[in-house]
This record gives sequence, structure tokens and C-alpha cells, in this order.
Amino acid sequence: MQTETLEVKLKTAAKFLDRWAVETTTPEPERLDVVIDATDLLAAVAGMVKIQWGYLATITGIDLGVEDGRLELLYHFCSGPAVVTLRVRIPRGNAFIPSIYEFIPSVSFYERELIEMLGITIANTPNTDRLFLPDDWPEGVYPLRKDFDINEAQTPRNRKANGNT
Amino acid sequence: MATHNPTQKAPERETFKIPIGPQHPALKEPGHFEFAVDGETVTDATVRLGYVHRGIEKGVESRTWIQGQYLVERVCGICSHVHATTYCLAVEKLAGVEAPPRAQAIRSLVAELERIHSHMLWLGVAAHEAGFDMLFMYSWRDRETVMNLLEGITGNRVNYSANILGGVKCDITPEQDAAIRAGVDYLEERTRHYLDVVQNDTMFMRRTKNVGTMTREQAEQMGVVGPTARASGVPRDIRVDAPYAAYKDFPVNVITETAGDLHARFVVRVNELFETFRLIRAILDHLPEGDLQTRVKRKIPAGETIMRIEAPRGELFYYVKSAGGETPDRVKIRTPTLPNMASVLELAVGHQLADMPMILTGIDPCFSCNDRMITVRDTHSNQRDVWTWDQLRKYGMNAAQ
Repeated sequence: MQTETLEVKLKTAAKFLDRWAVETTTPEPERLDVVIDATDLLAAVAGMVKIQWGYLATITGIDLGVEDGRLELLYHFCSGPAVVTLRVRIPRGNAFIPSIYEFIPSVSFYERELIEMLGITIANTPNTDRLFLPDDWPEGVYPLRKDFDINEAQTPRNRKANGNT
Repeated sequence: MATHNPTQKAPERETFKIPIGPQHPALKEPGHFEFAVDGETVTDATVRLGYVHRGIEKGVESRTWIQGQYLVERVCGICSHVHATTYCLAVEKLAGVEAPPRAQAIRSLVAELERIHSHMLWLGVAAHEAGFDMLFMYSWRDRETVMNLLEGITGNRVNYSANILGGVKCDITPEQDAAIRAGVDYLEERTRHYLDVVQNDTMFMRRTKNVGTMTREQAEQMGVVGPTARASGVPRDIRVDAPYAAYKDFPVNVITETAGDLHARFVVRVNELFETFRLIRAILDHLPEGDLQTRVKRKIPAGETIMRIEAPRGELFYYVKSAGGETPDRVKIRTPTLPNMASVLELAVGHQLADMPMILTGIDPCFSCNDRMITVRDTHSNQRDVWTWDQLRKYGMNAAQ
């Protein structure tokens, strides 16, 4: 893989992912962006691991806003200079996605982050404990959602410290 | 393995859970680990982070593009420059501007000086965890040289803020040029001594050889980055793979080792220092002339981009999205410690408890592995013995003798 050029790497990925692709774009020369259905996520990720195309750098979760009504998950795979992004869109109201832990065990941190920051239910992920947010953070309040209200995030301890009991 | 039998009151063998952390008064970034041990052997490991979670990703969304730079610079106290550089490069890409060549070269120069400071800081802490306080004191003393250089260039020892959107705010004067060269000469001589120690000191070798070994396949699969990956023979370095700032004009030689153990991680980092000294001299020799800044508009056109750069600890990943306004729509930051931390949890299994401080320190985890409180819990009687990190460190040193 190391000796392959950027073009070859991106071409390999594009060809391989084509069967699941709803839309494929090249937003920047070193990037490939493939929109896939949430139901195809497991197959696509398993395939990327199987053909040993790079490594999963991280998962970016984005709230597209209340009006749009969707959340976007970007699975970034990196190989040398090339970055392939699998883009999955799921409804805000029913944010559900299967875990890819089975294929990439080191994904646990990224999935835990999505659970607590964006309120996404991830099926079959081994650990759903809080990773970054405090233990007394209120349930059902997800800071990276666009309609997040800082006042809802007042933990009992904060309230006491600010004098609003 | 003990099997569960309801009639048996006290099973012959129980695993103990050993929580480490989160209190961490001496250095930044606390974390809480929980190791399950069977006798001396670690059978499972989990981690709880977030004790210093400050909501920076969210915070950036309600600030202007310019304010964002100063906020992301505070993600890390040790490698602050790389965060600002990644952010600036990403925003410049979105804005369709490019910083002038001299600015890019200065960005790389400061990044390499920062790498020296980060690696030397790590060498000291790692030596301390190994019970080698003499090396700790030497390396931290010598590190002051590079801290003074950074202060001379930018005015600050940490959070240098050398960057601005569209360039840098500080120039390299002839006096600074001379000071940097003198400092680098001194540090290079000292680093030769460190390499000698790391490769030949019997005590040090015994603490690091064949400990926490990660094969090349494991490293590739877990997606570990930076010196941790390179010590397992994975030639992964963003400065080479996808050159940014001035690394196209000043190519980097990737330093790798094949052993994949703790010792290899030491050798890789120390050898990387020599490469960094060479780079700094090369940049100073061929520093392009010209402006330090270009203008970037207050509003950034809508779009999204990914920027990756090589921080001292490995690949730093930024995803930046603009909705076309004066504030970012989303900034996602993946620091190198996160994938490397995942490798620690896997590597810990099967190792002796006494090796934990060294394995944790081996990935250079932004120093989330120093002085902290440890509770040893006996699941039989529910008795708790509270240890300090210092006690575990001493325990580790005694057990290794």
C-alpha cells in the first residue's frame, strides 16, 4: 500500500465502495467522499477493513440542525495522503446506528463520544459509559446538538456554585 | 480461570480491580484507568477520560474564526502550536488563501522547536517513571534551552500563538537565527548522550526491552499514530505522507524501529530529535524572504475541509465546516493520544501490573500518567488500600529488580 500513489489509492476505494455509494464526490484532491445508506454501513466498513484500505482516523458527528432534521456521521479512513469519508445520514429523532466494533475494535472511544455528545444510540457497542462528560451531567442533554441549551446542562454541582439552587 | 459456582462462598481466585486516577496534581490532563488483575497479571483495562474536558469543540461554534484559533490552541499545553497551525491551515483552505512561504517556513520551524520541547519533556517523565531521576533532571534542564528559544521568538513559553489566520505574527531576526543555531548545537550534543543512555544503560534496558510490544499488524489495525506507530515499523508521518506548511520544501526522513516494544519507542523519539535538529538548520539556511501574512476575510465561504498534521505525538486530525458565516459551524478535533490510548488498553492485558506506569508513559499520553491516587480494592473483603501513583511507581521499580 505504501508505494501506491494518491490517485491509485482513491481510485481503489472509489471502485470498491461504488456498490454502496448513493453519491460520490471528490471535494479536495486528496479526498473521496462517499454517501452511503445507514443500512450499508457495516458492509462498507467490513469491506474497507478486509481490503486493508488505511485505518479509521476518527468519526465526526455533525448535527445538521432542527430544520434539516438529520445527523451526519463521517467515518474518516486515512491511508498516506488519501482520506476517504463514508458519510451516513440518520434522522435526529431516531438516531440509531450499528457499531463497527466488530471490525475495528479501537473504535470504542469514538462511538462513546457520539453517544454522549450527539445522543446517538449505537447498537452492539461494548461500552456505553460516559467518556468525556461529567458523571452528574443530566440525561438526554447532548452538547453537540445545535439546539443545545447551556441552561439545561447545569449539573447539580454547577448550580450550587453559581448560587441558583 | 475461575468458574462461577453459586454454592461456593469464596472462589479460589478473584480478580482485583485496581483504579488508577483521576487525581493528578502535578501535571495536566488527568485520566482514570481501571485495571482488573489476576495476581500480578493485568486481565482487563478500561479508561474514563474527560476530567479536563472543556467543551472546546462546542465553544468554537459560538466564537469568531479568529477567536477559535486562540481557543483550539488551548487544547494542549504542550503541543499548542500544532493545534493552531492545523486550524489556521484548514481555515485558509476554506477561505481559498495561502500563507506566504516565509510564514509557512516559520510555522514549520516553531513546530520543530515544539517537537524538541515535547520529546524532551516526555523523555524526562518516562525516565522518572522508570526510576531514573538523574535522566529526568538532565533532560528537563536541557529542555529550558528550547523553551527560551520559543519565548525569544514568540514571547511565550507555552501557547506561543505564533500563528494568525493567513500567516504568522513573528519573524526570525538574525539574532534569533544565531541563538537558535547555538541552542540546537548544544541540544544535539546532549541528545547524543541521551541516545547513549537509552541504548546502553542496563537498568533502562531492563525496564523497556520486550515490554508492551506491539506488532506492525497490531499497530496498523489499531490505527496508532506518531512515534508509537513508527516504533512498530509503520512509516506513518503526515509530514512525509501529506506535506503541509513548509515540509514540501524541507523533506523529512521518517525514523522507524522494528522491535515495537517500549525500548523502540524511546529510540524512535530520541532519533527523531536528530532529524528535527537537521530540519531546523535546513529551514534557517533557506528561510524564504517575503511577507508574513495575507489577508483573510472575516466571513469564511461555506464548505468543509480536513486537515491533518504531525504533532509530536502523531497525527492530529481536524475537520472544519463553515456555513459561510463569521463563526465555524463545526470543528472536530481528534488528538493523537486517543487512538494511542486505545492501544494501551489492549497492550495492558497480559502484562505485569508493575509495567503499567511505563506502558502508559510509553505512548507519551499528554502526561495523563503522573502523580495520581490509586485504590487497590480487594473484592473479597471489599477492603481498600489507597496508594499514591508514587507508591505504584516504587512498587513497579522494586518488582523490576
